[in-house]
Amino acid sequence: MEPIVVTENLWKMYRAGKVEVPALRGINFKVMPGEFVTVMGPSGCGKSTLLYVLGGLAQASKGHVLVDGNDLVTMNDAERTKLRRHKIGFVFQRFNLLPTLDARGNIAIAQHIYGESFDPHRFEVVTKMLGLGERLKHRPSELSGGEQQRVAIARAIINEPKIILADEPTGNLDTQNSEIVLSMLRQLNKELGQTIIMITHNPEAAAYSDRMVHMRDGQIVDGVPAH
Amino acid sequence: MIRQLIINNVLHRPIRTIVSVIAVGVEVALVILIVGLTSGLLQETAKRIEGIGADIMLQPPSSSMFLAFSGAPMPIKIADKLREMKYVQAVAPVLLQFSSSGSVDIVYGIDAQSFRDVSGGFVFLEGHDFQGPDDILLDDWAAKAKQVKAGDKFTLLEHDFHVAGIVEHGKGSRMFVPLATLQDLSGSRDKASVFFIKCTRPEHTQAVMDALKPVFPGYEIRPLKDFLSMMSSANLPGLDAFIDSMIALAVSIGFLVILLSMYTTVIERTRDIGVLKSIGASKGYIIRALLGESALICLIGIGVGIAMSYAGRAVFLDSFPTLSILITTDWIVRSAAIALAGGLLGASYPAWLASRKDAIEALSYD
Ligand SMILES: Nc1ncnc2c1ncn2[C@@H]1O[C@H](COP(=O)(O)OP(=O)(O)O)[C@@H](O)[C@H]1O
Ligand SMILES: [Mg+2]
Repeated sequence: MEPIVVTENLWKMYRAGKVEVPALRGINFKVMPGEFVTVMGPSGCGKSTLLYVLGGLAQASKGHVLVDGNDLVTMNDAERTKLRRHKIGFVFQRFNLLPTLDARGNIAIAQHIYGESFDPHRFEVVTKMLGLGERLKHRPSELSGGEQQRVAIARAIINEPKIILADEPTGNLDTQNSEIVLSMLRQLNKELGQTIIMITHNPEAAAYSDRMVHMRDGQIVDGVPAH
Repeated sequence: MIRQLIINNVLHRPIRTIVSVIAVGVEVALVILIVGLTSGLLQETAKRIEGIGADIMLQPPSSSMFLAFSGAPMPIKIADKLREMKYVQAVAPVLLQFSSSGSVDIVYGIDAQSFRDVSGGFVFLEGHDFQGPDDILLDDWAAKAKQVKAGDKFTLLEHDFHVAGIVEHGKGSRMFVPLATLQDLSGSRDKASVFFIKCTRPEHTQAVMDALKPVFPGYEIRPLKDFLSMMSSANLPGLDAFIDSMIALAVSIGFLVILLSMYTTVIERTRDIGVLKSIGASKGYIIRALLGESALICLIGIGVGIAMSYAGRAVFLDSFPTLSILITTDWIVRSAAIALAGGLLGASYPAWLASRKDAIEALSYD
């Protein structure tokens, strides 16, 4: 089986005024379809940047990034946007729902951005699975953190993306809600074979995944002895 | 769905939306009322000039057909020369003078006899014709607006007149004073601004005009038949420019308010724009959402503006009953199109900025 995500010597520089700051320094990383991988590491080590590059929100500076066989490095912004629309679902620490739309609207807008070919039955299936039936008419400000994150997960998976990229999805949740969100991700992974790459600080959260990857200073340090 | 987003976003900041809607409304109402006022004024003036009953109007070179903009006065002797011409039945010299006492009016200085010969005479509703040099005639509208009756004292051009009579409207002006008096008051002794010519028969109009042309080269010689249809702002140098600049002013209001409002919207929703990008929204989608928002604001504003125009006209005519404001479908549609185009133009820069925002920076915006 081919890996669904491959990075080869991936570098990402940020411009801070005149200096270029490397956030990723030669990442080599593979994820197989159906894998649930957690990425761990200290704050500022480049975890979010890695996720943004994999999701096509940021352009890599050097190296290769293959997502489902497409090399993001050679694609322009519009092409990466299209790839993201069809193959990636993002979940964020801060939920990032649109405040003026209710829960239903926040999920449906992803379907409409996806385009005409969205599956109308999928909405029922996903909202039922995430236990959102009762809360669909509420705006984000009327939902608890746990509910907001479930809406965000529903939005991320509504178009059946090949990959879910979750950036500290339980970072703003209490233990109970964290467990609910994590077990839902686990369920998606187990039952639907959803590929998930999740950033977390929490070793307990990492325990839900198949594999852990550790980062430090823009590099993956697994197998490298700690100093 | 994008429609839902647009509507909800417009409702999200009610004060900002209301201010933008009012700005667009003022823009639309300003255009409709200014055009309505000028075309109403033109039409009304044209009707009155037509109502004099003359066949030909002779004015000095480069005068406008809108009598308010007449050139330097001509010697009154011309009238005698005109009377000698073939097919000319009567000639009425008139001196025009602007007056801005309360409202802007044009006063006609007339010679009672010759003006009667050309026009067939006034219909007196009250009082009688001129009997002395300080007599003034007002038409019924002016009398109502200025609240005067026959026999009252009336000050015009810093001169005390005696209201001799109230006449039926429709004969050129709303206010008439003796020619000699106006000549004295305006320092144009033996001068006239325009000659109204009555031909022996209307069919002779063309023959008389042809005969006039070589005698008065460069003079404005106009037939008064179909005067109304010829009267448009395009024939009035200056007026078109005035209308255009008022429209430009109105459009700038709408443009700037929408620009500013959409600009603050884009900044306020920086994070939302990042979110839309993260779920795969294209630049075009973000531009459409923001242009849709301003289009919605413009459409509501246009509706409000049309209502404001009718309300404004009612209020205006209540205070200035002698004026008329012509609201036409043509100009309602035009002002709406202008407002919509201005609004979309104003929104396009913020929308473009939004579409180009860096997704990562947008997502980390607080
Ligand atoms: N937009 C940006 N511009 C400049 N530097 C950035 C930007 N985003 C992140 N960085 C820097 O890149 C490094 C990695 O950041 P990030 O990927 O957010 O780390 P993590 O998610 O592991 O905390 C940090 O040093 C951070 O300061
Ligand atoms: Mg991070």
